[in-house]
Amino acid sequence: MTVLAVSFDALTAADFWIGVGVLAGVYAIFTLGLQLNVGFTGIFNFGQAGFMAIGAYTMGILVVRAGWSMWAAMAASIVVAMTAGVLIGLPSLRLRADYFAIATIAFAEIVRYVAVNARGLTGGSQGLLGFDDAWLDVSDTILGWLPASVQDQFLLPLLIVVWLTVAVLTGLMMLLQRTPWGRVLRAIREDEDAARALGKNVYAYKLQSIAIAAALGAIAGWFLALNLAFIEPSSFEPLFTFIGFTILVLGGLASYLGVAIGALIMWTLLEATRFIDLPLAAEKVAALRFVIVGLALILLVALRPQGILGKRQEMVLHD
Amino acid sequence: MTEPATSPQPGAEAPRAEQAPDAILEVRGVVKRFGGVAAIDGAAFAVRRGSITALIGPNGAGKTTLFNVVTGFQRGDAGDVVYDGRSVFGRPAYALARRGMVRTFQITKALTAMPVIDNMTLAAPRQPGERILTLLARAPAARRREREVLVRAHELLETFGLREHADAYAGTLSGGQRKLLELARVLMAEPRLVLLDEPMAGVNPTLGARLLDHMHALRERDGMTFLFIEHDMDVVMGHSDRIVVMAEGKVIAEGDPAAVRADQRVIDAYLGSPGGTR
Repeated sequence: MTVLAVSFDALTAADFWIGVGVLAGVYAIFTLGLQLNVGFTGIFNFGQAGFMAIGAYTMGILVVRAGWSMWAAMAASIVVAMTAGVLIGLPSLRLRADYFAIATIAFAEIVRYVAVNARGLTGGSQGLLGFDDAWLDVSDTILGWLPASVQDQFLLPLLIVVWLTVAVLTGLMMLLQRTPWGRVLRAIREDEDAARALGKNVYAYKLQSIAIAAALGAIAGWFLALNLAFIEPSSFEPLFTFIGFTILVLGGLASYLGVAIGALIMWTLLEATRFIDLPLAAEKVAALRFVIVGLALILLVALRPQGILGKRQEMVLHD
Repeated sequence: MTEPATSPQPGAEAPRAEQAPDAILEVRGVVKRFGGVAAIDGAAFAVRRGSITALIGPNGAGKTTLFNVVTGFQRGDAGDVVYDGRSVFGRPAYALARRGMVRTFQITKALTAMPVIDNMTLAAPRQPGERILTLLARAPAARRREREVLVRAHELLETFGLREHADAYAGTLSGGQRKLLELARVLMAEPRLVLLDEPMAGVNPTLGARLLDHMHALRERDGMTFLFIEHDMDVVMGHSDRIVVMAEGKVIAEGDPAAVRADQRVIDAYLGSPGGTR
């Protein structure tokens, strides 16, 4: 009699790990933006899923409805996301930190509701298709360079491109953080009045921080769209921002390297728990996945409160 | 200060305000209300260039609120603040700091999760690497400036006896050392007017004496002006050359220590009976 049986076959399959890897990479890029905001600037952006939606939809709509090339549409989507970030920040960043948090989560939900309802533009809940021809050509080219034994792994090129992007962006963010600009951000995180008293325009720095996070969210949005070859509103629910925050805590606050590690662990947990085989209704199994993920997180926070790569000192000294 | 304002000084940028020639700061009829309560109720005084001026008064007199309005951390409801010949009333705090008016806080704001040296280099002005748009375009200039700033930061840490703590997190310093760090950091910002909110609070006497020595040295050597809030009357009487006394949001007396000590209004409002200086 088996009460709890996990089929390990799925976990040894290459396509499972490629799928996990792509999602982890997408969310690593997504969470780099959260790390900049939360870990290094001290502003709570709860609307990162909204910026991801803007990235995905701007790219998709410009290609499908306006006939743009995918590459130009990608560039435009960054500009649109950054503009949205500045527009949300302008009124709400002057206020206390919690107002900004509320404004961003409201913004992300507005974006999602627009995506559901503006059917002529977004396809509504039916989704948006047919924007990725240019990518499929690139994907085939990359696959052509790879050995014959992996030719059936059609997501492998996306995995490679996503993780190259993760590597480049992580490196860039680490470099940026080490400049005097990054030092001002850290000071704002510590005490914005102290930064102000030393002549730093705190408001302008916060706007820059949110604009860059929005750009990172948009890039994550491209890859999420290419992964599914399909854009639909439910991919941008607030839940996904919270998954980003979980990755942040897992990897450790104020560590860009931790983001990639946190994303890998989180998506391995989220995807592997799909294969739990219990004599229960499907929706109960779905709920149980999150129970297991939650337990794993509680364990981590209990055993290593600073996250995997976070600095314990910075956490303890924060008074 | 009651002396009449002189005619505008010639040859300057636009909103030049009339100001007594020896004053670096003038507070004119400043009012700040919280709801119906006027925390500052028409306070007026001036700070002479190169002076060490103390701002004293009982708790709730409005001293810290006045600091906040003068330095742009809070918006006043009426009045004017003239700094270095220009009206700065309502200007943002960061802009005033860049013009050389730098403050400290009653509760030290050492950036605890940052190393001491980063606390120092952060404060340096004119760093092109702090602007995201010039960061790349002017990378060599930023690196050059960073080297200058580091040299200056280490000099100041040496002067303030914090050299061996340069790489430690600021949060590991004692309360007194944090006060010293805060003053050293203010100096990195190249100020002309320094406003200190209770610099001696929570500092042991040895470190406190060092802080006062630094203040005098900076005034003598660099002509820096200090305005400080303080409750320790020995420090106030012994180290300031002018005293401004506030009570209930108004300035009730202003003058040198001997005159203020003898002023009946000050004795009634704050000092208590003669001989009983607190």
